[in-house]
Amino acid sequence: MPALEPMPGLRVVADPEALDRASWWGDRDVTVLRLAPDDALAVGARRVEIDDEHAIIEEEAGFVGAWLTAEEFAEWVLPRIEWPLPADRPTVAQGSVAGVPAKLWLRVTGGALLLAQAAYADELAGRLG
Amino acid sequence: MAPPDTGHIVVDGHPIAFKPDDSVAIAILRAGETPAQGGTLCLAGDCGNCLVEADGIAYVRSCQVRARPGLTVRRHPRVVMPPLPSVSDPDVTRTPAARETAVERAEVDLVVVGGGASGKRAHVAAEKAGRRVLLLDAAEGQEVVAVYAGPTVVARTGTGMLHVRSGEVVVATGAAEFHPVCAGSQLDGLLTAGAAARLHRAGVDLGVTVAVGTPPAGVPCTVAAGRLVRFEGEGRVSAVVTADNSGTEVTTQCDTVVLGLGLAPRDMLARMAGDAPVRAVGPAAKEHDLPPPPTDGVVCPCSGTTVDDLQSAWDRGFGELELLKRASLAGVGTCQGGACLPHIRSWIAARSDTVPPPFTARPASRQITLAEASADTYIDAFRRTPLHDEHLALGGRMDRFGGWWRPWHYGDHIAEYWAVREAVSLGDVSTLGKLVVSGPDVVEFLERLYPCNVADIKVGRSRYALLLNERGHVIDDGMILRDDETRFVLSFTSGGAANAEMWVRDWIETWGLRVHVLDQTMSLAAVNITGPLARTLLQRAGLADPPRFLGHVHADVAGVPCHVMRLSFTGEAAFELHHPVDRSIELWRALMELGADLGIRPHGLKALFGLRLEKGHVIVGMDSEMDSTPRRLGMDWAVRMEKPFFIGKPSLARTAPLPDHRRLTGFTIPGEAPTEGSPIWSGGEIVGHVTGSWTSPVLGHAVMLGWLKRTPFPDRVEIDGREAVVAPTPFYDPEGHRARA
Repeated sequence: MPALEPMPGLRVVADPEALDRASWWGDRDVTVLRLAPDDALAVGARRVEIDDEHAIIEEEAGFVGAWLTAEEFAEWVLPRIEWPLPADRPTVAQGSVAGVPAKLWLRVTGGALLLAQAAYADELAGRLG
Repeated sequence: MAPPDTGHIVVDGHPIAFKPDDSVAIAILRAGETPAQGGTLCLAGDCGNCLVEADGIAYVRSCQVRARPGLTVRRHPRVVMPPLPSVSDPDVTRTPAARETAVERAEVDLVVVGGGASGKRAHVAAEKAGRRVLLLDAAEGQEVVAVYAGPTVVARTGTGMLHVRSGEVVVATGAAEFHPVCAGSQLDGLLTAGAAARLHRAGVDLGVTVAVGTPPAGVPCTVAAGRLVRFEGEGRVSAVVTADNSGTEVTTQCDTVVLGLGLAPRDMLARMAGDAPVRAVGPAAKEHDLPPPPTDGVVCPCSGTTVDDLQSAWDRGFGELELLKRASLAGVGTCQGGACLPHIRSWIAARSDTVPPPFTARPASRQITLAEASADTYIDAFRRTPLHDEHLALGGRMDRFGGWWRPWHYGDHIAEYWAVREAVSLGDVSTLGKLVVSGPDVVEFLERLYPCNVADIKVGRSRYALLLNERGHVIDDGMILRDDETRFVLSFTSGGAANAEMWVRDWIETWGLRVHVLDQTMSLAAVNITGPLARTLLQRAGLADPPRFLGHVHADVAGVPCHVMRLSFTGEAAFELHHPVDRSIELWRALMELGADLGIRPHGLKALFGLRLEKGHVIVGMDSEMDSTPRRLGMDWAVRMEKPFFIGKPSLARTAPLPDHRRLTGFTIPGEAPTEGSPIWSGGEIVGHVTGSWTSPVLGHAVMLGWLKRTPFPDRVEIDGREAVVAPTPFYDPEGHRARA
């Protein structure tokens, strides 16, 4: 299993319509995960422009994760998911992986970004082997 | 390489030779000893009369374990249960050694349990029909211990556990032999007919053998005719007494009694399955005759339940099989009714004219270890703060608390306590719940959510708040910190944070208010700097003007961006530094270095709980109960009933005029602190219990919080056999000078 690395970015909670129209900037590719209609985790983002004066915009350092190929995802993660994955790609999926709360960015390639709160990093890494 | 088939096992420290194919029980019997101490042996795995500890695992049926060189066996003492491990060292922070158990998984159309004639027939028929079939036979080392809905079959194998999903399950486990129930049935030297046949085949000398009932084929013995009355002997049977139809008793001297008393279906796995497609076949499905109702002796050898015990429970109204089981404990022991169930059914039938169906069977049918039960299942994941490894490096003894691993102490909780009281100390409070709420309706929302005033909290200020449910019961507490006119930070207890977040979100949605919520509990770490030199340390770390009591600022500390909050849970000056988790180690190390000459040391939960107790601070969830109102906790001061509305206000208003009979109260007692949870006595009755207890170093006596649940509330009570005095809280620094210093 590839090592879980810090996945810094931005966390933004705002009106859903404003989030739909938000613009993101980062030093590298930005991957925006809509964790809820009003909640976005933008991995790799350093700045956002959003039309919501009450938006909560915070630098996010609390996640770790790993970009997995389709083969790695099938070998390490899929057997440890006990809930049905959505069929759409790309999409966000959230639930327990090996009994640990986690988030998945499922890509069209079959690969995935596996994310978990850093507080669970040791537990998740240990359970995934 | 297979182990040698002869050699020695070690039983209670002494070597005992075994022969090829010997089980542990047979090896012990071959040596002229007994595997357990008393009771009929079946040597078929049906009863609990040969239980031993084998290679450190208790409750093992020695008849089901093949002897192998060096196997270490300890016989259980003549008590119902083997002794529990010593608790003389109650160090909850020590993790026991783990025993890994592997799990194999399979999916088939049919599982056949049992490799006898019926099982083999079912197996062959299914294979001929082209079905994927798996035969699990305990004799071949695949012992099925559970059948769950699905059905899923769980078996213990030689290499671990096997979990099989199957379309159908056939239980072909045969029948078990009756055990005798009469006076003397707990003596040594009693064998079922099947056990006697096995021992004879193994070449074990049974001595002078007498059979009662149907004798086993091929085993030399004399038959004692008539009805079994009792066994006689001291420790081991020396005679069996039978009676003819006229009641005339005949005593037959012997070394061994062999009992062919009848059969009962071995159908526990089929009864375990509920509505799942599971069926019994062969003898396991046959409705055998019940034994005669017992009149004397031990019915349930596992629990030691006698006929008199059954009668006592019956006389108290437990006149039904499931109730009788619970009241007498017959059938709840290690064999799960394997020995006693036919006798209990017969005993009830004699009193009710109805033969009750067998009681419900539940997994597991055999004693399995916790490692086997939990193999390949996930327990709750406990979180680690970013400072976890720092704590370990400092000698921290970690324990689970509120869903997190937290340092209980660092080797000397008293030194940690004094660092807080007299110098400066760091505490890891990263586990606290932290929500950001923002929006045009946020003040309206918080006014409805909390029983305290919110609108008048100025930017840069904070307020302690209780969180109540609709019934006015305290469900959590924390701080409300105002960042600007429409943005607040809310803190919650470590264990209550997740529920608090859901609570907040639910009410925002219910009320349709425009409020955004971001949970930063795991995105921000927090360090508490506390002690009379805390301010000095902060200034050294670059914060020239730390906030005053209940103030908060966003500022860099030792180069790390922090939200600095001035409050106090320890009773001393304290500053919580909330900061990004990826900067936590950097901040912690900088503070420890800057405070080295100030006597800084970290403190764990043990010291923290003592410090808070001296201040009388309530920990919601530890001191409070599910229905604790602010009044019961002595925290009416945190409720503003003049507000037009807050969650819980209608209930509090309705109950305010009523007398209350519960109160969380402070107590003091000379000397050492009683154990937390100790009962509180008054007038010869238990009137409450202790929720928090601490031998206060600064006060020189014990201080406690505890519940009084009888009125009139007494002034003096008895705790731990000593007189304790009701005392106001805070016990220490009641004016709060030190916290505000």
